[in-house]
Amino acid sequence: MIDCTEAVRRMWAYLDHALERGPAEEFETHLDACQRCCGELEFSRHLKGMAASTGSEALPDPLRRRIDLLLEGGGLPIEGGTARD
Amino acid sequence: MSAAVIDATGQAGPDRTAGAPARPFAGVAREHLDGLYGYCVRLTSDRTEAEDLVQDTLLRAMRAYPQLRDENSVKGWLFAIATNGWRDLCRARGREVPTVSLDGSDPDDEFSLFATLAIEDPFPYSDELHLDFLRLFHDEDVHEVFARINPVFRAPLILTTIHGFSCKEAAGILDVPLGTLLSRLHRGRKQLERGMWDYAVNNGLVEVGDEP
Repeated sequence: MIDCTEAVRRMWAYLDHALERGPAEEFETHLDACQRCCGELEFSRHLKGMAASTGSEALPDPLRRRIDLLLEGGGLPIEGGTARD
Repeated sequence: MSAAVIDATGQAGPDRTAGAPARPFAGVAREHLDGLYGYCVRLTSDRTEAEDLVQDTLLRAMRAYPQLRDENSVKGWLFAIATNGWRDLCRARGREVPTVSLDGSDPDDEFSLFATLAIEDPFPYSDELHLDFLRLFHDEDVHEVFARINPVFRAPLILTTIHGFSCKEAAGILDVPLGTLLSRLHRGRKQLERGMWDYAVNNGLVEVGDEP
């Protein structure tokens, strides 16, 4: 059975569904026997959720207006890189 | 999505206009503007730079759009263009493009925020010690913590955790092998955990006797 160090190493990949079946099953077997890692998994889930929820940014209105001009104008008036006023 | 469909150079390639996307670029781009801006903010850690990068990305994408073969991959394609644009921006502004040696070990690799909280116990009367710690952080605090993560490790973290790309998709966007992506992602997570603890201690969000 994998130990806690290895379980922790696989934890976020498990939450991302990025583990293959074998390693995921080993991880789950470890969880069945390890309350500590169950706690850490729950914490990691919250931490990931928090990081995800704070990552959304609404486009500022002035930038949205500049982008509208850029998209409507096909980008032609603004050449070579940044399109600041 | 696969790496093969992400041609993020923004350069004119072979004429593939026969398979050009059916929808106009403007409509497609608008669906991803907030996500793209959010990615650029986290990637650059600077809102002004992010604004430049979003516009630069759209200009590059607009030029390359007729060569895009898979409209379903447009989000990853835009993010890949933004990533390349950001590398160019770093070069143009005389900054070194962040790189890292994967040979060396990082002292944060073994750090565990979960274990540190249990040991330091900053909320002795709490039944939800770990969740109480997370509740200390407002959006701007998390932004600060992200900004301090090495950009090489930050980018995989942003793509998977915030924008929901699979590890394989993130590897395609960053143009690195999957194994490299997974390794960097692990380090990014550890730097996030370490960064949150250091931030909380340094900003007086928690009081502890001695720093671990």
